[in-house]
Amino acid sequence: MPTVVRCWRCQDEHIPQVFCPACEALQPLPPDIDYFTVFGLARDPVLDEQALANTYYDLSRQLHPDLHQTGTAEEQEASLQNTAVLNRAYRTLRDPVQRGQYWLELNGEQLGKENNKVPPDLALLVFEVQEQLAAVREAQSAGTDDARAGLKSELTQVWDDLDDRMQGLQQKLAANFSKWRQADDASDLLSGLKRVLSEMAYLRTLTRDVEKALSIF
Amino acid sequence: MERIVGIDLGTTNSLIAYVDDAGPQVIADNETGQKTLPSIVSFLPNDRVVVGREAGELARTQPLSTIRSVKRFMGLGMEHVSAEDRQRYRFVDDQGDTSSLVRFAIHDRQVTPPEVSAVILRALRDRAEAALQEEVRKVVITVPAYFNDSQRQATKDAGKLAGLEVIRLLNEPTAASLAYGLNTKEEGLIAVYDFGGGTFDVSILRLHTGIFEVLSTNGNTRLGGDDIDQSIAERFLLTELAEELRHDPQVLNSALRATEKAKQVLSDQDETVLNLAVPDKGVQLSRRLSRHEMEAAVDEIVARTLEPCRQALKDAGLETQDIEEVVLVGGSTRMPLVRQRVGEFFGRTPLTDIDPDEVVALGAAVQADTLSGRRRDMLLLDVVPLSLGIETMGGVMSHLIERNTTIPASVKEMFTTAVDDQTAVAVHVLQGERELVQDCRSLARFSIPIEPKPAGVPRVEVTFMIDANGILNVSATDLRTGLERSLEVKPSYGLTDEEVERLLEESIDFAEEDIEQRLLIEARTEADTVLHAADKALRQNAAFLQEGEEEQIDQVVQKVREACAGEDYDLIRDLTEELSQVTTPFAQRIMDSSIQEALGEKQLSDL
Ligand SMILES: Nc1ncnc2c1ncn2[C@@H]1O[C@H](COP(=O)(O)OP(=O)(O)O)[C@@H](O)[C@H]1O
Ligand SMILES: [Mg+2]
Ligand SMILES: [Zn+2]
Repeated sequence: MPTVVRCWRCQDEHIPQVFCPACEALQPLPPDIDYFTVFGLARDPVLDEQALANTYYDLSRQLHPDLHQTGTAEEQEASLQNTAVLNRAYRTLRDPVQRGQYWLELNGEQLGKENNKVPPDLALLVFEVQEQLAAVREAQSAGTDDARAGLKSELTQVWDDLDDRMQGLQQKLAANFSKWRQADDASDLLSGLKRVLSEMAYLRTLTRDVEKALSIF
Repeated sequence: MERIVGIDLGTTNSLIAYVDDAGPQVIADNETGQKTLPSIVSFLPNDRVVVGREAGELARTQPLSTIRSVKRFMGLGMEHVSAEDRQRYRFVDDQGDTSSLVRFAIHDRQVTPPEVSAVILRALRDRAEAALQEEVRKVVITVPAYFNDSQRQATKDAGKLAGLEVIRLLNEPTAASLAYGLNTKEEGLIAVYDFGGGTFDVSILRLHTGIFEVLSTNGNTRLGGDDIDQSIAERFLLTELAEELRHDPQVLNSALRATEKAKQVLSDQDETVLNLAVPDKGVQLSRRLSRHEMEAAVDEIVARTLEPCRQALKDAGLETQDIEEVVLVGGSTRMPLVRQRVGEFFGRTPLTDIDPDEVVALGAAVQADTLSGRRRDMLLLDVVPLSLGIETMGGVMSHLIERNTTIPASVKEMFTTAVDDQTAVAVHVLQGERELVQDCRSLARFSIPIEPKPAGVPRVEVTFMIDANGILNVSATDLRTGLERSLEVKPSYGLTDEEVERLLEESIDFAEEDIEQRLLIEARTEADTVLHAADKALRQNAAFLQEGEEEQIDQVVQKVREACAGEDYDLIRDLTEELSQVTTPFAQRIMDSSIQEALGEKQLSDL
């Protein structure tokens, strides 16, 4: 059963929602509200990203502090807190990787636990990238301009490779999500889903490292 | 509905604007009709201040007590002040114990950057009150998008010190996009390139049926037209001068004014003459400068604005060809070279329909209109420009909120104790993109009070909230008791609340000078300087005087002295000018000889 909350203004009791059904005052969202619920969505990792964006804009139009500047202190505070929650929810849900991770957490699953080893087919890539990053660090202090230029083009190549892989994984993830949705018993799909998410998380970190290294050229 | 006005508190120029039935408009000064107020404040010895153009004139003779581009110092510590700035002004020495917030040493008092900005804000408010015939208290003030938390807080403090209620700090590029009314577009991606006097910002926005969603922002809060002036001055003027003159605040100030003027002329012409004359210092230079020469010298500075553009596009996940419109903002975008480089970079001709000086203030007025509840058809979704985090083990910064996160943004973090009976946990808040604490900007420190318990038992949840102004607020809740804990946050480079209160009380006697009085004092001060210089030269260099020259000079000196006793500032000015002129040949002779002396010494040492 959903919990009942009380309106700060008219004391009406109702299930959590943005505006009080009785007096229309802006209500603070419960602190433990989940991100899918913020958007009025079922807890389902498969979602229409364009519809998500549109809902985000609509909710922003209702909640944003700029539009409650003339309200009472309670309304201003609720507007600030709710918009912060909305923004966090949107940031998490619009990104397939973060959305997947968040969804796993909601279902009591952790990515880290059994997936804290580098996925086998990524291991080679990880070593390769680490080696190149070390070379960049060295060239920083000692290298010639030619050597630096060479490294830069190599690093750019690595970045492109990582990017390609990421795109591939994203397609895989989408496919996994829809399979999961259609299956009656999804438990055996879960491990596949986790593997893809974990690979993506690794790729992200690597990509970020490479970008950091590239930014010094 | 109480009116809210919009203020562009610029590095170089500041403006105030409001919205009426005809749309947003800039408020001009009642007396002079000027819309821009130069962001220059001159402090007179009698606890009076002069703002704007008049202060700019005073800068020639009183460079140390006349602050320009104060925005460059907002929210900074002494360690961030450049060597050039240290030559230009006098600062109060770092006291070490407390925060090392920048403090100008002016006459016998200390003045912080927010106080200087407050003087500008008050002058703008007076201007608006005179024009609107009503009290003005509520304002929206714009800040560079790339301003960090301390710089924003300092701006808010300035508003408070000016007796204003700062309803919102608004990012300048975002304001500009509002002014362009691009909301008529159903859907689109735009870039705003804002290159002013002291700062550079770029923002990438997605427009979607009245929503202005900032996707990313980047910039450099210490890059602007001032750097272009500095670079031209160094390259074409200062190299011609003796070493000690190059560092003289008065010479430096005049050189920068001369180059700025030449730079602006070169936006419309192919060639100009660069003139530098500082009679009291015997400096007299003149040289031709072509646009081509200037562009070659400053191309590197303009190129430095493109890297942030690249980064902003990348953060937004876009390529240059995705951008459908480029908006130019800021005086420095009047330079043909800037337009050309930006056009090449984005592959399209930028929009320049609205006066780049006014566009930010107009946008601030539009946003003020929304905030006052008078319109609901536009909504800004802005972002935090720099990642926010806390110091963790080993001097590493751990990110809590990533850059380009839409604001308001909040994150909760759990803290506990490491040893038994620990009574507090110290937290160091940082902002920046680098990994090591030492490379990030320290924002504040606070300590969470904790009841003595075995290690790991206390659980305090701290909420970091970046509000719609881009300013951080922290609050803490003891999860065991559910009670809110009060935190004393000590800003690393800011005024404490008590200090703001104290300054607010003191500032009452820091009155503005009325214009007649102002001009009189200015004329007297200038006369004084010239008299002093002449007197000194006569005493020390009598050998260079020619027949009858001393009598001639004495006569004018006498006239100037008499005029100074009276109230006619025009007369004082005319006579001061006359004195400058009669002493110029004499000064020139002294200069020539000291140059020969300098050359002579050099030859000796070369041997
Ligand atoms: N015609 C021009 N050509 C080149 N630079 C100009 C021109 N007009 C103004 N500027 C420069 O623009 C800068 C001021 O721009 P502005 O947008 O007012 O700055 P801010 O927003 O920092 O106050 C100064 O460096 C000034 O020299
Ligand atoms: Mg500006
Ligand atoms: Zn109600």
